[in-house]
Amino acid sequence: MLRFLSKRVVQIVILLFIYVTIVFWLMEALPGSFLDKYLMNPKITPEIRENLKRQFGFDKPVLTRYLYYMKNFLVLDLGVSFSYFPKKVTSIIFERLPRTVFLFVTSTLVSYAFGYTLGKRSAWRRGKVIDQVTTFTGIVFWTIFLPLLAIFNIWLFGVILGILPLNQFIDPNLWRNVSFSAQDLFLKLLLNAFIFLIVFLTIMIISRRLKTINAKRILLYVSLIGTIIISISIWILSGRAIYAWDIIKHMVLPVFTLTLYSFAGSMLVMRDTMLDVIREDYITTAKAKGLPDKVVRDKHAARNALLPLMTNFVISLGFTISGGIITETMFSWPGLGRAYLEALSQQDTPLLIGLLVFTGVFVLIAHLVADILYAFLDPRIRY
Amino acid sequence: MVEAIIKEPLWKIRLKLWARSFKTGWELFREKKLALFGLSVIIFFAIFGLVYPLYPSIMRAVFWKDDPFGYQTFAPYDPIIGFDPHIMNHPSPPSLRHPLGTDPLGRDILSMIMYSTPREFILGITAALITVVIGTIIGASCAYYGGVIDTFFMRLADIVMLFPSLALLMVLSAFIDLTLFRLALIIGMLSGFGSITLVLKAQALTIKVRPFIEAAKSTGASDAYIIFRHIIPNILPLSFLYMMLNVTGAIFTEATLSFLGLANIRMSWGVIIQMAESSGYLMGASIGTYWWLWLPAGACITLLCSAFYFLGRGLEEIVNPRLRKR
Amino acid sequence: MLLSVRDLRMHYKTKMGYVKAVDGINFDLDSGESLGIVGESGCGKTSISMTILRLLPDNAEFKSGSVFFDMGNGPVDLVKLDESQMREYRWRGISMIFQAAMNSLNPVYRVGDQIIEAIQNHFPQVPVDKAREKVAELFELVGLDPSRMDQYPHQYSGGMKQRAVIAMALACDPRVIIADEPTTALDVIVQDRILKEIRKIQKKLNMAMIYISHDIAVIAEVSDKIAVMYAGKFAELADSVTIFKKPMHPYTYGLMHAFPSTVGEKTDLVTIPGEPPNLLNPPKGCRFAPRCPKADELCMNEEPRYIEVEKGHFVACHHPVKSGEVVQFYEQ
Repeated sequence: MLRFLSKRVVQIVILLFIYVTIVFWLMEALPGSFLDKYLMNPKITPEIRENLKRQFGFDKPVLTRYLYYMKNFLVLDLGVSFSYFPKKVTSIIFERLPRTVFLFVTSTLVSYAFGYTLGKRSAWRRGKVIDQVTTFTGIVFWTIFLPLLAIFNIWLFGVILGILPLNQFIDPNLWRNVSFSAQDLFLKLLLNAFIFLIVFLTIMIISRRLKTINAKRILLYVSLIGTIIISISIWILSGRAIYAWDIIKHMVLPVFTLTLYSFAGSMLVMRDTMLDVIREDYITTAKAKGLPDKVVRDKHAARNALLPLMTNFVISLGFTISGGIITETMFSWPGLGRAYLEALSQQDTPLLIGLLVFTGVFVLIAHLVADILYAFLDPRIRY
Repeated sequence: MVEAIIKEPLWKIRLKLWARSFKTGWELFREKKLALFGLSVIIFFAIFGLVYPLYPSIMRAVFWKDDPFGYQTFAPYDPIIGFDPHIMNHPSPPSLRHPLGTDPLGRDILSMIMYSTPREFILGITAALITVVIGTIIGASCAYYGGVIDTFFMRLADIVMLFPSLALLMVLSAFIDLTLFRLALIIGMLSGFGSITLVLKAQALTIKVRPFIEAAKSTGASDAYIIFRHIIPNILPLSFLYMMLNVTGAIFTEATLSFLGLANIRMSWGVIIQMAESSGYLMGASIGTYWWLWLPAGACITLLCSAFYFLGRGLEEIVNPRLRKR
Repeated sequence: MLLSVRDLRMHYKTKMGYVKAVDGINFDLDSGESLGIVGESGCGKTSISMTILRLLPDNAEFKSGSVFFDMGNGPVDLVKLDESQMREYRWRGISMIFQAAMNSLNPVYRVGDQIIEAIQNHFPQVPVDKAREKVAELFELVGLDPSRMDQYPHQYSGGMKQRAVIAMALACDPRVIIADEPTTALDVIVQDRILKEIRKIQKKLNMAMIYISHDIAVIAEVSDKIAVMYAGKFAELADSVTIFKKPMHPYTYGLMHAFPSTVGEKTDLVTIPGEPPNLLNPPKGCRFAPRCPKADELCMNEEPRYIEVEKGHFVACHHPVKSGEVVQFYEQ
């Protein structure tokens, strides 16, 4: 295992190095630069011009700058943004990261849970009405033009039903006279969600040890409802519940749209793998053992179909920034995707490079995690 | 009997075999309702795009009999420079004159959609064709030669897959003028060197160990001959299937780029929606009021994308026996 | 009677029509008895077991017949039970050793856990440690090291998997075990050892067994009674001595003379010309008639009835082979 992991890490480092190099030279090849706008400006004296040039490092040859960039990259310094000067690229990324990550983690988790359940059911009832209907709807949502879905959802929920805000991260009117920042509150919300997740996982592990199904259920419901009530009352007591609610309200529509858009991907993968697994002899054996249908489906078939779903999950993480660009534009959501679009239009090269490099690192780490998870999920895989 | 078979030219036998496998394939295909649905949608759009030239003349004969001058000057059904002077406010809602209404510049939406249809086909199919040709050749060669070639292309695929394709295309749009063909070429190459190589290589590897490859080698066939005559024909069904799925991806990518206003394409379904967005008709409460600006074009993108996807999945169940019903 | 199957018919629906895989099967089985079913591949052997256990694929259509099974409280017709009642009988009443034992174990669970799962499914009150003890016992019974029960299937060799599958089949003390080609995938030496083991366990626990195989040598070794199956029907059923010494159906005769024997007098080896019929569209009369040297007009047109000619000796033939008669098969 360790040997495999170290080999994999070396591979990843090499890949990353090549990737960063390509990204850097690609951006270098972009015609014009952020500075040109200023350098063209006749009001700027040659002195300031030189100063600016030196500050941004444009006085040195490209090669030097490349080496410099790589050196900084090694200590996780991605440079300084042009358009947000003198903010560091890393700090911009980390400011926006929670928003994007939250958007995507929530929608991905929900859509995978959804896709897993639907996929296994429709494979189990292959050719029946439920299978036909879910496959059809799934493919339509999978291939729908994402902006169309976003517009449609805004129209339906925001305009016709009027129950959800149309776009933006917060409602500016509400936040006018507030002393704390939305970012702070959002991070607290995230922390709350994280605690919730941990409680959920702990309970799952504990309930495995319990004997009867009823005890499991009671423990699960009591503790989950308990956590929800406790966190809600803490929010109310702190007096910030209304602001937290505002953020949550703004989150619903993008999360819903993304979930709708991506659940079919996992569903179709799950369905196809399940169809494959169902033919295996151990499924017949499980049925012959007199196990109830549900146990055969969930414990024996679905468990074996999990692996390809995992692969799909990891690949879909790479989609985060691409999908983010569209969704965040549609909902004016200040996340990484929007930052990318803005950086592109402003020719903010360091930010562009930083965002691309960050995505690369993110995807590669996800691949590594997937490799480790594989070994847990499939006892046959021992590195 | 035996002589009769030999006397028949080889191509005739091949043709017969092709016809037979096509027939069994069609028999299987016919049972897939969803795939049939996809095929009919594709055929519908093909016809829809082909009859475009008739549309302005029909409209002229019906609505512009009294005003040939206006028709000549304003070309009301031209998808790019058209304008209808008889309507006061543009965008105007659907009416008999303009079945899907007009856009903010006074152009006829139906005409824009029809005009774009063949272009979507060209883009999707060109991109997918490039993808599949690259993927098939590289996949087959990697599987056949192994070694350095294999390692090189596999690492290349790793790197290409590392790039978020939409983000990369957005950067490229800054220094390449993304016309329809260039866009198709780039989309095709990006997915051609990427994941599709892995899939096709895996398939080619299963072919490589079959006895007939060994047999061909022992008769002294050249590497190229074996790759092109023995390996590639056997992975072609899978390639074809991936082609269908890639059409979906290519059309989607083009629409997104056009929607973001980053492609240099004068008219496409994505451009229609972009037009609505950039002139502010997708803001707030007016979304529903001006539905004809985004709904028909968006629906067309979705329909055509899912049609190719349905078709691809239908073919998958034929090509991939493990998905067939018992 | 522990298990009696009456006029069992099950057909597979295909695009070309119905495949008559099981077409009127009758037999009885008592506890402690073992029945061998032998036949060419594709004659419907496996389908019989699947029909009895009602583990049929979607395209299978149960046509008629009944399966009376006695768990100690009077015979119950398994065919008439609903799905949840049927589940009670699976594994506890009738368990199975599958054709491909290699793949009968779920790769992601420990072998011991898969057996415990079966036990706890039928006896929910049994605690895990008791179940583990039982599994350890079973492992010893089939000649496996009990400490291996916490290993995964891929850590087992082929023979060990086979033994584990047998242990699993014994887990709920079933009345009947159906062994469908239990040893085909193994090499001859392991095959022999495992067959002896199964036989020993069967005698010890006084269970009834049904062996299904295309290999008459395997069947002969382990069965008290042997049924010869041809194209979805039983051609002949008798105790194993009679069927070797006095085969009455020409097909059985051909089969018995088709392999060399190391003991007894020298005889010519027989090959049966032709191929088994397509079950989509079987011959109108006797299904063996097209290949049978004794066939006449009657055989071609009328199906022979499956009758008991002597006690415990059933045969379906218009012109049974008399004792001492030599049947000549000709190449067509």
